[in-house]
Amino acid sequence: MLDILYIEDNIDEADIFKRVISRLPTPPTYKIIMSGTEAIDYLLQQGTHQGQSLPMPRLVLVDLNLPGQSGFDVIQQVRANNRTRYMPMVVYSTSDSPKDMRRAFDLGANAYLIKPGSYHEVSDMIRRAIEFWLTQNHYKP
Amino acid sequence: MQPTVDLTNCDREPIQWPGFIQSHGYLLAIDPATFVIWQASENCQALTGLPTNTLIGQNLSGIRLHETAGTELVDLLTVALRQNNPEAFNPYLLPLGDQSWYLVIHQHDGALILELEPTADLINLPLQTTAPLLNKTMPIQALLAQTMTDIQRSSSLTDLLHKTAQKVKELTGYDRVMIYRFGEDWHGEIIAEACEPFLEPFLNMHYPASDIPRQARELYKTNLVRLLVDVDAPRVPIYPVQYADQGRPLDLTHAGLRAVSPLHIEYLQNMGVRATLNISLLYRGELWGLISCHHYAGPRMIDYPKRASVKLISQLLSTALEIRKDDEDEQFSHMLNQREQQLYHQMLADWDIVQGLTKHPLTALELNTATGAALLFENKLYTLGHTPADSDIQALIEWLKMVSTDAVFQTDQLPNLYAPAELYREQAAGALVLVLSREMNEYLIWFKPEQKQTQYWGGNPEKPVVLGEDGTARLSPRKSFDKWEQLVRNRSEPWRQVEVATALKLREDMLQLISQKANQIRALNEQLRLAYEELEAFSYTISHDLRTPLSSIKSYTEIYLEDYGETMPQEARATFDKITKASDRMAMLIRNVMHYSRMSRTELSMESLAVKPMLTQLREELLAGENGRDLTIQIGNTPPLLGDQTMVTQVFSNLLSNAVKYSRLTPKARIQVQGSETEQEVIYAITDNGIGIDMKQAGKVFELFQRLDSAVTYEGYGVGLAIVKRIMSRHRGKVWFDSSPMYATTFFVSFPKTNQPASSL
Repeated sequence: MLDILYIEDNIDEADIFKRVISRLPTPPTYKIIMSGTEAIDYLLQQGTHQGQSLPMPRLVLVDLNLPGQSGFDVIQQVRANNRTRYMPMVVYSTSDSPKDMRRAFDLGANAYLIKPGSYHEVSDMIRRAIEFWLTQNHYKP
Repeated sequence: MQPTVDLTNCDREPIQWPGFIQSHGYLLAIDPATFVIWQASENCQALTGLPTNTLIGQNLSGIRLHETAGTELVDLLTVALRQNNPEAFNPYLLPLGDQSWYLVIHQHDGALILELEPTADLINLPLQTTAPLLNKTMPIQALLAQTMTDIQRSSSLTDLLHKTAQKVKELTGYDRVMIYRFGEDWHGEIIAEACEPFLEPFLNMHYPASDIPRQARELYKTNLVRLLVDVDAPRVPIYPVQYADQGRPLDLTHAGLRAVSPLHIEYLQNMGVRATLNISLLYRGELWGLISCHHYAGPRMIDYPKRASVKLISQLLSTALEIRKDDEDEQFSHMLNQREQQLYHQMLADWDIVQGLTKHPLTALELNTATGAALLFENKLYTLGHTPADSDIQALIEWLKMVSTDAVFQTDQLPNLYAPAELYREQAAGALVLVLSREMNEYLIWFKPEQKQTQYWGGNPEKPVVLGEDGTARLSPRKSFDKWEQLVRNRSEPWRQVEVATALKLREDMLQLISQKANQIRALNEQLRLAYEELEAFSYTISHDLRTPLSSIKSYTEIYLEDYGETMPQEARATFDKITKASDRMAMLIRNVMHYSRMSRTELSMESLAVKPMLTQLREELLAGENGRDLTIQIGNTPPLLGDQTMVTQVFSNLLSNAVKYSRLTPKARIQVQGSETEQEVIYAITDNGIGIDMKQAGKVFELFQRLDSAVTYEGYGVGLAIVKRIMSRHRGKVWFDSSPMYATTFFVSFPKTNQPASSL
């Protein structure tokens, strides 16, 4: 049972995320993966995760700029696989470039969140996203 | 016999085989192998005592010429023919009766042609000349030596020609000796003359080309000396009329006795001339002119040796002409080449065609004898010296495009080809045009002024033809040689070949430079493209790699405050506030830089924009943030403009927020937006009564990150106006301002009405 898979290579961002979650009244379960390739292997249960029966998340938060395969690659591979093709994929990136947004949506992202520049704003945004995707949205992995 | 020649065959009169000889000599055409007589002039009966028709088919050895036996002649011919060039030994002296005659032989048209002519004294009247009788006594060699010396000493061409005319007159005793020069259109002009004082000089007279028809000029190139002893003497036919089986008379091109055309006789009779001698002057194998001798008093015979001397003089003169002309041409051509080289180096050094051709002491105007020049290049017209008006030059170029597709066009009579040029013929009666590119509309033109000339014609040149009595047009020699004046207009000095050649060389150099520059620009464009790709990558780096740690700094500060803020001393909290503010400020700077670079790169989508709703919305947003101020934003005329919605909104947003910001300390802040339009553009003026701009610092206003002294107390990053400027230049528009601090500061933006957006940079 996994609520959120957060794909993020920056330790600081990951730390701040953990802190935000920990301050919630009912903290969701989450897993943080720090590379695109690792995330794809996890979600598609391939490579080092071959044959393992891993819990699938109800929401994926994905940064775009990742070492190895990028956030775009993650979205594309997830959408290309029958088992994961309807998985909620939410981009969570500092990039506000319209080009990046268009590309993410073209590949099948469900939403695009621009990372704010402060803890309070981040906290606010993560809380609202969890509220929507985990409480109001209907999706069973 | 008087052949009539109509206009359709006038140029084809076969003057080389007239079928007649002049009456002062005898002609025999014989088989060079057997010496059998094929043809004889009808007067040969006087020579042989036999009717001419009985001579035909006889062997030369079977007849007598007076007391000279034919066999003697055959011996002489046999010896002469044994040399390969019997003509080299001309003339052969032959006693006929009590006189010595000259026998002149040559081979032509398959026949051996024998001509017998008397020595001169038999015919000539005693000379009534004022010329010294030197020629009677001076040996030919001495005369030639003196002529050579004269030629060498002549300081100018005119002097040389004059001395030659004089010398020929002394040698030959004709009443008038003229040097006649052909123009490009083959009309002639008398350029030197020596004549008896009782004659009216013909010097500087012009004669139409039809006076010496084409086939005569062709003949003059091979037969250099033509003698006509007596205009009034009847011509002697050659028997039989047809030569061998050729179906035409014998070719007399090289025969000294050849009779001239009846038309020419008539022409000379009209002029009152009794005897003539014409010697060709050649320049590089082409007919340059004639030495033309006229005699009026009576017949005049110049015997073979003297004709040979005159011929030698003419050849000396021709050589002198060539050397002189070569020297002159050489010097001129060398000078032009040097100048062309220098122009090329100037263009290369400046790396600019216009600069290289027009901005140095040596300009394109010096490349030839032009007095004006015009360069149309990259849609700009540059002129040098005396030229027609700019609009006239443009119109001339339009005309040229229609009439010529050549790379070079030249004329010395532009107004005759293009009537509008008559209005400016004083600047441009002649034109030399280089087409650099028809597509790009790029031309280099040289102009020469009209050279008004009065030409004196020997008779009206427009009427070389007279109507016959039956009313049909018939080519008939002119009757009138009265001096006839013509004012020649619309013409310039002609362009010389070397001028055209040098101009073409310059054209090559210009085209090479243009293509080198184009390649350079292409290379620069490629570098630019790569640079912008790098910039884009750099922008991404800024957006992600710089912003992320900055966000972390701020976030950790906030977390620390959240966890330990309650227990922190007041000073520590203030320090943390400063950290937060500094990171905010840096985040803002990064965002602004990205924004500026995006305004430079994003493609524009141009449309007609309604400005009023845009301004009304901006006013609402701005006023919402400025509660409690006496601030009004008045919107006046709002003509629509052509632009990119997002970017134009950005322009007004930046200008209006500046106006709001910098009028914050004004008690009654008034901002006014007023649009207006001209034929070409839509202009908006945004006026406020805020702190304004010290015009001394005007240069800094639109620079990125530049902030004025007066603005230091206001928050800002020095990016807003730089973005406005960038957007306006993307729209090919303009932005400028005017300021009286505390009273009125106005920023103007103008958008062109027809708009091709500038490429994204």
